[in-house]
Amino acid sequence: MQQEEHALIKQCAEGIADTYAILVERHKDMVYNVAYRMLGDADLAQDLAQESFISAYNNLKNFRYDSKFSTWLYSIVINKCRDNLRSRQHHVPLDESPDIASSVANPEEEASGKQIMDKIQSALNMLPEDYREVIVLKHIEGLDYREMEAVLNVSVNALKVKTHRGREMLKRLLKEMGVLDE
Amino acid sequence: MNKNTDIIRKLIDGEFSQEEEKAALRLIESDPLQKEELDLLRKTIRIAGNCERKSAPHSFTSEVMRELTPHTKVKMERLQDFFFRQRMVRWNIAAAVAAVFFVAILGGGIFYIQKKDSRISSLSPETMITVRFEFYSPEAKSVSLAGDFNKWSTDEALMKKQGDGIWTIDIPLKPKMYSYMFVIDGKVWAEDPKSDSYHDDGFGNKNSVVRVSTS
Repeated sequence: MQQEEHALIKQCAEGIADTYAILVERHKDMVYNVAYRMLGDADLAQDLAQESFISAYNNLKNFRYDSKFSTWLYSIVINKCRDNLRSRQHHVPLDESPDIASSVANPEEEASGKQIMDKIQSALNMLPEDYREVIVLKHIEGLDYREMEAVLNVSVNALKVKTHRGREMLKRLLKEMGVLDE
Repeated sequence: MNKNTDIIRKLIDGEFSQEEEKAALRLIESDPLQKEELDLLRKTIRIAGNCERKSAPHSFTSEVMRELTPHTKVKMERLQDFFFRQRMVRWNIAAAVAAVFFVAILGGGIFYIQKKDSRISSLSPETMITVRFEFYSPEAKSVSLAGDFNKWSTDEALMKKQGDGIWTIDIPLKPKMYSYMFVIDGKVWAEDPKSDSYHDDGFGNKNSVVRVSTS
């Protein structure tokens, strides 16, 4: 799989752009899902996921063939999300800041799968950016710490500590939202 | 991170051996608060892991591919526009006569260019030299030849299996230096052990090189 993928990348780097469609088709859901979970907005996630693929294509000459293409894509989309989140920090009015109270379900509302999903996304949105990254990569995308080290360029030991703190914070948020009682 | 927190983290990350895990669980379960902490963290992780995976929209790939070649597209659109846009032309006799002369001169030029080109292309086949490529791979189900002469296509030049696991193909090439590789079963890229020389492709791999000459 990896060798076949490297052959496709090589063809793209040689200028056969059509081959890139195969790679985009193969990884689009993964890149989109990461962007969606990081940003919590479908339209923005689509824009950033597409930008990620375009950046990857324009920088194929920098791709290192000793790593997986997916690892490289994870790095690119995470960086795009960071840039976006940081630019938004300067523009979000205070009254639009995350508020746990507004995310807690009305007790009279019926519990449903969609409501739980919305609450999980709200909780993710409230996590600090670096905790959100590790939770998304480790527990939603299912990466191991070695892959996360390659994506985030942070040591495995530091990632273990950060991931656990992220879990603790997510647990606290979900508990306050009543998700863990359901 | 305090000792119990670290034990809980290791339990969640599966870092303990079987024996260590049993001892760690005994320790944590002896304290109701620690046990609750472990249970809630496990539930949190399960909920996060069961998050619905969002799928990219159907048009996603085509939109990316459209963005990759915007300049080419703009050029093509301009070219189409130049030839096919409806124009209003005001005629008078002097302009018509000038146009007839212009078309006559232009037509002659095109005729001359076409004649020159056909002379060149009629020479091309004589300069082509058939080169036989051979590759030994008895286990392979298919082998193809990919090189800069076929834009590194992996399925254009399929080789034929001869006896003793040798795969061959004859390719007509103009005298020049070419880079190439063999592609085994459509996946594995292999260099030619009998290559004239090799050169680095800039991506950490080595391409085989063949020099085609008339001498």
